[in-house]
Amino acid sequence: MAGDRPLVTVATIGNRRIVQSVDELAAACGLLPGLTLADARAREPGLEGIEADPAADRAALARLADWATRFSPWVAPVGADALWLDVSGSVPLFVSEAALAEDLLARVRRQGVGARAAIADTPGGAWALATYRAGQDPVIVPPGGIRAALADLPVAALRLPVEIVEDLRRLGLGRIESLYGMPRAPLAPRFGEIVARRLDQALGIEDEPISPHPPILPRLERIGFAEPILTAGGIERGIRFLLGRLCRRLEQERLGVRRLELACYRVDAGVERQSIGTSQPNRDPAHLARLLVPCIEQIDPGFGIDLMVLSASAIEPQELEQGGLLPKAHQPEDGAIVAPLIDRLANRLGAANVLRIVPADSHVPERAMQLIPAFETMPDGDWPTDRPRPIRLLSPPEPIEVMAPLPEDPPLQFRWHRVLHRIRRAEGPERIAPEWWRRIGLINAPDDLRDYYRIEDEAGRRFWVYRQGIYRPDRRPPWFIHGLFS
Amino acid sequence: MTRDYAELQVTSNFSFLEGGSHPAELVETAHELGHTAVAITDRNTLAGIVRAHVAARQCGIRLVIGCRLDFVDRPSLLCFPSDRAAYGRLSQLLTQGKRRASKGECPLYDADLADAMAGQALVILPPDRPDEKFAQQVRDDARRYAGRYFIAAQYRYRGDDAARLDALHRLARAAGVRLLATNDVLYHQPERRALQDVLACIRLKCTIEVAGRRLEAHAERHLKTPAEMARLFRPWPDALAAIGDLVERSRFGLDQLEYDYPDEVPDGRDPFDELVVRVERGVAERYGANPPDKIVKLIAHELSLIAERKFAPFFLTVHDITCFARQQRILCQGRGSAANSVVCYVLGITAVDPNKFDLLFERFISTARNEPPDIDVDFEHERREEVIQHIYRHYTRERAAIAATVIRYRMRSAVREVGKAMGLSVDSVAVLARTIWGWSRAALTEAQVREAGLDPSDPLLARVLDLAEELVGFPRHLSQHVGGFVITRGPLAELVPICNAAMEERTHIEWDKDDIDALKILKVDVLALGMLTCLEKSFALIETHFGGPRHTLYSVPQDVAGVYEMIQRADTIGVFQIESRAQMSMLPRLKPERFYDLVIEVAIVRPGPIQGGMVHPYLRRRESREPVQYPSAALEKVLGKTLGVPLFQEQAMQIAIVGAGFSPDEADGLRRAMATFKEPGHVVKFRDRFIKGMTENGLDPDFAERCFKQIEGFGTYGFPESHAVSFAFLAYDSAWVKWRHPDVFACALLNSLPMGFYEPPQIVRDAREHGVEVRPIDVNYSDWDCTLERDDAASTRLALRLGFRLIKGLAEADMRRLVERRGEGYRLAGELHRRGGLGRTVLADLARADAFRSLGLDRRQALWAVKGLDETDLPLFALPEARPSREPAVTLPAMGLKEHVFEDYRTARLSLKQHPVAFLRESLAQRKILPCAALTKTRDGRRVAVAGLVLVRQRPGTAKGIIFMTIEDETGTANIVIWKRLFDENRRTVMTSRLIAVSGLVQKEGIVIHVIAERLTDLSADLRLDGEDLPLSHSRGDEAIHPGQDHRVLEQKSRDFH
Repeated sequence: MAGDRPLVTVATIGNRRIVQSVDELAAACGLLPGLTLADARAREPGLEGIEADPAADRAALARLADWATRFSPWVAPVGADALWLDVSGSVPLFVSEAALAEDLLARVRRQGVGARAAIADTPGGAWALATYRAGQDPVIVPPGGIRAALADLPVAALRLPVEIVEDLRRLGLGRIESLYGMPRAPLAPRFGEIVARRLDQALGIEDEPISPHPPILPRLERIGFAEPILTAGGIERGIRFLLGRLCRRLEQERLGVRRLELACYRVDAGVERQSIGTSQPNRDPAHLARLLVPCIEQIDPGFGIDLMVLSASAIEPQELEQGGLLPKAHQPEDGAIVAPLIDRLANRLGAANVLRIVPADSHVPERAMQLIPAFETMPDGDWPTDRPRPIRLLSPPEPIEVMAPLPEDPPLQFRWHRVLHRIRRAEGPERIAPEWWRRIGLINAPDDLRDYYRIEDEAGRRFWVYRQGIYRPDRRPPWFIHGLFS
Repeated sequence: MTRDYAELQVTSNFSFLEGGSHPAELVETAHELGHTAVAITDRNTLAGIVRAHVAARQCGIRLVIGCRLDFVDRPSLLCFPSDRAAYGRLSQLLTQGKRRASKGECPLYDADLADAMAGQALVILPPDRPDEKFAQQVRDDARRYAGRYFIAAQYRYRGDDAARLDALHRLARAAGVRLLATNDVLYHQPERRALQDVLACIRLKCTIEVAGRRLEAHAERHLKTPAEMARLFRPWPDALAAIGDLVERSRFGLDQLEYDYPDEVPDGRDPFDELVVRVERGVAERYGANPPDKIVKLIAHELSLIAERKFAPFFLTVHDITCFARQQRILCQGRGSAANSVVCYVLGITAVDPNKFDLLFERFISTARNEPPDIDVDFEHERREEVIQHIYRHYTRERAAIAATVIRYRMRSAVREVGKAMGLSVDSVAVLARTIWGWSRAALTEAQVREAGLDPSDPLLARVLDLAEELVGFPRHLSQHVGGFVITRGPLAELVPICNAAMEERTHIEWDKDDIDALKILKVDVLALGMLTCLEKSFALIETHFGGPRHTLYSVPQDVAGVYEMIQRADTIGVFQIESRAQMSMLPRLKPERFYDLVIEVAIVRPGPIQGGMVHPYLRRRESREPVQYPSAALEKVLGKTLGVPLFQEQAMQIAIVGAGFSPDEADGLRRAMATFKEPGHVVKFRDRFIKGMTENGLDPDFAERCFKQIEGFGTYGFPESHAVSFAFLAYDSAWVKWRHPDVFACALLNSLPMGFYEPPQIVRDAREHGVEVRPIDVNYSDWDCTLERDDAASTRLALRLGFRLIKGLAEADMRRLVERRGEGYRLAGELHRRGGLGRTVLADLARADAFRSLGLDRRQALWAVKGLDETDLPLFALPEARPSREPAVTLPAMGLKEHVFEDYRTARLSLKQHPVAFLRESLAQRKILPCAALTKTRDGRRVAVAGLVLVRQRPGTAKGIIFMTIEDETGTANIVIWKRLFDENRRTVMTSRLIAVSGLVQKEGIVIHVIAERLTDLSADLRLDGEDLPLSHSRGDEAIHPGQDHRVLEQKSRDFH
């Protein structure tokens, strides 16, 4: 994230605020992860600190890992900020290792991610060089050259626990090179097996398998084409194939999708992405295909698509469905029937244009609800029931003429749209004051505390009216009707 | 229709983060609105009622004592005791709840009510929608508490009030009980709604944006006029009538609390007679058979006052505690207003001999000032807990507990929490809070807001600051007082609820110092002082190594010229009170040559006199550069001892009396108003009165202004004379030890840390400069504490052997075992494991600290050896020789000196091998940077450059944004002054450099040398080893690292100034 102020991420550890990571500007100011925010600010008062979000970092790294599968099917995240790719099979596609690495770096950087890369005989060695060999970019170690390449790196580059790194440094064994000539026997009792093992792994004496990245985006299906496809029909067949497999898995796991993403990798290294959303968890391939197939017209296959990946990026639990006994038409009108309609409307009209009313937490009636896109997850909490609220709320409230006997009494009669209503019953007042924190900085905010009354006229019609402000000798507060109960 | 009304359901801000007003505000407002009485009913606490009581007494409204009881298993009740006994039961009930829970909680159960309910009137609080379960509860309660049971009825503006109150009314009638009208008050006036909402957000840990319906819908929960309440409850007149009955039957008031001090004399003898016996014995010890007349007269006078006020048992208590300490060889010393007395002196509570020190004024208990005597006793900080546990043992936990301290919002915490609740970004909140240095209660200025990079005209920010200002002074939680004990004859829990403190084995009451004062409850202050620990350790070391009877605080040879010469040289690192940079720059100018000069020195370098601009006039007069003048003859008597410049708290008070015509009571009221900040309005009133009084008496308005400013400073930072005398004793004694036995002094200081101003590196360095040989930590020679070693009987100077306590992360028990089993010494690393019983991790820590030299191993070899130990070997039995070496030999690269020094700093914060800056000397010399020591030979006004490790950075509030920095190289230290502008331009360099180069002008005043910085360069990078910074630990005085320190709590530390 580039800005004109140094940026760091911060996490609360114990009761201290500790810097977790720094951007380039902050690094240039000498700020390092591990400082307290207070210290960092003392050095750089203009500093911007944002909350660290390790879960989002992990997810981002997982997404990057997924994306990187275009370079190799074998991709695995390492730690919090690195990826291993087994590119042994991919190099021919890119002519040379250097070309591959440069292409990879360029693409990653285009996504706004700072990155370094190294290609070496061993994953451990590559990690060490990418992490600790600053300045050379990318680092390509010729076969057999790993021992020499690692020699003067610090032992921390062997991915050892910090205490061991510290002790090795204290013993004068701070560089990887100093371990080369070391007899192995005295190492194990002092540091356990790990030092020797990591060293051997880095040097290729011991094998370290790359485990493909764990299924953080697990509901994902892919299909590759030996012959790149170019037609809409071909893409649709691909979609249906992927949907079929995905939905079978979801059924086993009792999950439904809320969001699907389709990535079509083009032979010319571009990616075409489309996504759809659903208002309720769904795993009906036919329904999902109805939503996804219309997107095909927006996919530009270029010189052909050689890989399609369909992933469920938002999933929610969905119970097993029981087939109904009654014919469909006799089933109650519930979400199961409305949902597909919402989906089709929304995917046609645009997700932002199909809205849902949900409760919002406020005393002020017009703020007690909000409209959200139908695809968004319902917020927690139900409609409150502790105070009576009308079925229909007028927006805005309409002025009425009122006769009321005493300042704090409910009206005896009121006129609305030229019709006079005589009041038979009334309850109230319910007093609701404005939310002062929304009025900060407003000059001359009117005295608009409201006293609400629930009233019923002689015809049995019920209304919700309020008086705005309280009586003062110099002021007759206006009345409004705000809702209808029936 | 009756218009009488009394609000009986009131939540004050002692229901933390709930009530939106102070008890006093509530009580005063109830009075102004014409309520006949008022109650403060906080949740399961009586913490706020003394404030309410004082306010009610002042404005003349009846305070109904009560409390809201929240239960785990039944609806809440308001509880109002009818008499002293019922109050005792209520207090006991709360104690029971609090003692069974951890700090801050008070779980109560219906079953607890059984014992406590005699004599209480109860008001049940109905739920939002009263149901059958509630009705059943009312019917049950009504049977149990017939005739003194009510149902609270509130008009809540929720729309259904009429229906709800009708239903409650029917329920009450059916159960044969009555409704009682209340307004369930949360704040004294509707304007507090916003603050109350913010408090709720802080409590709910959410922002106001999302708090929603968890906040109140309106601002109706304020105190209302009787007329308004009558209007609301027109349909339910019974509910209003019930109020008068309840007020009538709840007769208990806090003035009925008869505080019973324990008798202290077991066999029924009169405590006063006992005191007289002890005083006579003391007089004989101090003055022999023929005490001076003056003393005899004073004692008679004091004893008559003590008899009149019945304070004899209190003096006996303090005497007993000090006797206990003495038996246990715990050093102690009394101070405080009563400490001026001869009685305290002859009882051995204080060291201030009234025959020798003609103390300025009698601030001993006076009949005019109707307040209990004030005696603080300081004990060795490491052993005070023994005294505290002795008090608990002696009086039992039923009769003794520590007073509370009400932790209140300061500006910094208020801004932080209000900002968070109002949705300011974490970032802005942190920046704002940081702008406030230390413990200020003052509002942020526009300039400060701008300095933080924020816009003061932003309305949201302005609102946040307003609300924060309103929140300042609100209680946040209760904590234990630093050492004030309350002791009673009967069960203490019947006087005031007792709670568990956060600290194990500690209990405290719900009332703080001011509450106790207001109720005239006696308190004994048992405080901790690091220097007493250090002195006791010094005396023990002197006795061990040099023989002779063990010194006490008062047996140290007085008036030794050498000691004063040392002090005049400002050679005072480690000396009590006069070791700070500010003190050290003052000493060569004040040139103390007798004890009273030290008293003045201690008192003068305080923010009070500094802020009042009194320091320089005093200095000029002392140096005879200015004639000594007195503003008036009356004031000459007051100010004679201090050359016409008021320096002590008593003098400031006396000026108010003599100069401005205050009564002693008023003068004391003024002092209190200043000390507590609580009522800024009052201070202004006093100010006008003071200036007017002074000018009317013909005194210069400028002088009046200055005096008042000083009194303002005294409120927080001033010293009374007797206090200064007591501290000067410790300053002298510690200076004497340092002068006579620098080896002992350094050793005792190191063993008493943390205390004082300096860290081990400075103490060790100072010892070496005084010719003490300092020896490194070693497994074969060191003890847990630092020790002194004598090579041959003839040597007078002992060598200081550093102890294991200096190594970070070692456990004392492990090291003591290592020492115990050392026998003839350890020859091999393995022996430490097998015989010494230490695990590999501990041995590795010792190896890293380079403590194996006597085994012929440097840290690297030792670490290798230790790491290779087989943990499964049986300790103790296997002989080290029996284990053949199976390992191939390994040659580790040799470690350089610089690396060693770094490791020394990493493990023990200091190195005896070399000063880190010495490694750079050559390159510094090439850059024409002088060693610090060269400054003494540099002429005043010369432009120089020096460089050193940054020891201390301070930005005293009294010095207008100037930064004082102390740096150190291998030759000595240098004092740097950085003006605000240069600081602003070099903020990062100042705040973060470990090694800094400073060029600037040398400024010399006598032997005090400053460098006024003109250019600052961060050289930290030059000091790195393999990219790592020198692991430097900062002094406790370093405000860049410890900005939040409360300098008033750590009294032995004074704030810096220039």
